[in-house]
Amino acid sequence: MTDFLNYLVLGLTRGSMYALIALGYTLVYGVLQLINFAHSEVFMSGAFGSYLIVGMFVHDGQHLAWWQVTLVMFLGLLSGALVGAAVAWGLERVAYRPLRRRGAPKLAFLISAIGMSFFLSQLAGKLFNRLSQNQFPSYFDQNKAVFTIPGSGATVSRIQLIVIVSAVIMMVFLDRLVSGTKLGRSIRGVAEDAPTAALMGIDIDKTISRTFIIGGALGGAAGFLFGTTFVFSNIMGFIPGVKAFAAAVLGGIGNIRGAMIGGLLLGVVENLVPTFPWNGSGGWIGLQWTDVVAFVVLVLVLVFRPTGILGERLGRAA
Amino acid sequence: MRTRTLVNVAAMSAVGALALTACSNSTGGGGLSSSAGGGGGGTTYTVAFEGPLSGDNAQLGINEVNGVQLAIDQANAKKDLGFTVKLLKADDGGDASKAPAAAAQVLQDATVMGVVGPSFSGASKAVGKIYGAANLTIVNPSASNGTLQTLGFPTWHRVVPNDYAEGPAVADWMAKKFKKVFVVNDLSDYGAGVAGAVEKELKAKGVTVQTAGVDAKTTDYGAISQTVKQSGAQAMFYGGYDAQGALFAKALTAVGFPGARVAGNGVKSSVFTTGAGAAGNGWYFSCGCQDATVAPSAKDFTAAYTAKFNTPPSTYSPEAFDATNILLAAIKAAKAAGTVDRKSVNDQVSKTDFAGITGQIKFGPDGDLPAGTGTVNLYTQKDGKIISLGDVSKAS
Repeated sequence: MTDFLNYLVLGLTRGSMYALIALGYTLVYGVLQLINFAHSEVFMSGAFGSYLIVGMFVHDGQHLAWWQVTLVMFLGLLSGALVGAAVAWGLERVAYRPLRRRGAPKLAFLISAIGMSFFLSQLAGKLFNRLSQNQFPSYFDQNKAVFTIPGSGATVSRIQLIVIVSAVIMMVFLDRLVSGTKLGRSIRGVAEDAPTAALMGIDIDKTISRTFIIGGALGGAAGFLFGTTFVFSNIMGFIPGVKAFAAAVLGGIGNIRGAMIGGLLLGVVENLVPTFPWNGSGGWIGLQWTDVVAFVVLVLVLVFRPTGILGERLGRAA
Repeated sequence: MRTRTLVNVAAMSAVGALALTACSNSTGGGGLSSSAGGGGGGTTYTVAFEGPLSGDNAQLGINEVNGVQLAIDQANAKKDLGFTVKLLKADDGGDASKAPAAAAQVLQDATVMGVVGPSFSGASKAVGKIYGAANLTIVNPSASNGTLQTLGFPTWHRVVPNDYAEGPAVADWMAKKFKKVFVVNDLSDYGAGVAGAVEKELKAKGVTVQTAGVDAKTTDYGAISQTVKQSGAQAMFYGGYDAQGALFAKALTAVGFPGARVAGNGVKSSVFTTGAGAAGNGWYFSCGCQDATVAPSAKDFTAAYTAKFNTPPSTYSPEAFDATNILLAAIKAAKAAGTVDRKSVNDQVSKTDFAGITGQIKFGPDGDLPAGTGTVNLYTQKDGKIISLGDVSKAS
């Protein structure tokens, strides 16, 4: 039981990050029917952006008071989100809007996205010396257990709690935003039928731009959380990006709640399935099969539900 | 409109093509002019280095290429070779898939008489045949996978003990202290090789062994650390490289694994110590390599290296230095015997009996150090620094 809960918490931590990134893929797909393959680099730039800000406030090995830590965390999250949003906005301006204006075929968007992805990753490498392991300064004891889950020896550490709670808050916020505000209505309108939405007086370009900003902010914030929990580098985006894309497809691409569920589910499955039966034996499948397990689950779900767990449309389901 | 676009495209690709040819011309030209010009010593021969000079594992390549550079500079300064030597650096990023391109770059230069490298086992496996087919001798300073010498690479030589020598040596030491060990590897040629050798020897000594593999591209070592902890093992052995080892070290500390942490030569580096920080303290490393900062035979080398590169020599710098000197001695011997070409140099390297700073080096028929020669040393990280504990077979 202890083992099971420990792996579950690990899975939820990783899954929250997948979910935040997956939302970026799914939002853009919703309005443009386009996979933004450069989104993994938006995530990466969020990590570097917040690193610059957090580095300004804290220096190596310094332990701060709890309110200072909270403040720095909040600033980090905010700066990650801002940088992510800015990069995503710029991405749309540079790589997508010109193509859209000229009515380029879908394939051109894809290539443009891949090109931007390489460009951003190499640019970050150039700016930050291509170190494989950048770390945030350690300004609090991340791994200290906050509480023990009742009835077992499983613990939740500070960083795990921070990641899961902040991800949930952001997701609830997004859900409210999309279903309850004017901006949310225009996003859903464009997703459902762009020409009709335009006839109803919705500015399509502005809506698309804002969709990129929202997705970018979530991805950038995820970059900060990922960097704080693990390490970050200019090539960090690729694997989480692919996994998050898989999570978005798993939940139903274009569907916001689907991306959230898909992300959490993928993270949990990745940790729980290979280590089954959680008795200290290392598991029947073994952790070297983690990625295989993740994608086998994806394929199985798609065989039985080709549109993903919650189905495809942003317009309707959210 | 359409024609104009086409013209533009054509013009641009023409410019691009010109730029490309210009590049290849200038590199080719550079190689030729220096081989003809030569300077004071008459002919110029080239020693190639192949290893990671960029990317995640660049530090190891830099440690080695500096050793090579130092050996070449010292030889050129002494002027007793009868020829001048030049260094060609080929960057393979430590990646087996990029190694053939690096090898092609080396083979293109006709003045190259030998290769120091490739640094990594996967890359070595990928290019051993290509170099062999060109009769180009390989003197390898660090790729320690235990099967490389059995793959029939005709020009293979290696100055360090392989993992089938290193793994069992450290396993014997672990068997003296621990009854249950968890062996983790990163699924690379090197990592799986050394982990397999450790596992086999531990089992032979009656130790309970549990194993797992974690892909080297993983950043999240939470699950594997949890598994290691729950297994109740007294010690963990990691077969893998430094950057990943550092992440693993932090995750093991985060879950509070109480046992000892041991790793192979791939983890012993400054990348690990800076990456892992305090979580790396107490880790043990086995390495068939010399600690140049403590070995008396390497005193001059350490001083010269530090003066030249502003940093003390690190893992595999002394081995690369020895490998280069072996190569230079072989070219000299080939010259004394009449012809200097790739084949004659390779023949001379095979006959090597060389007193290097890392020990007396001789090659067996398979190109490896004969069994029983070559020492495996044990190191540990203390207060963020790696210190030597001496010969692992004598360590307590």
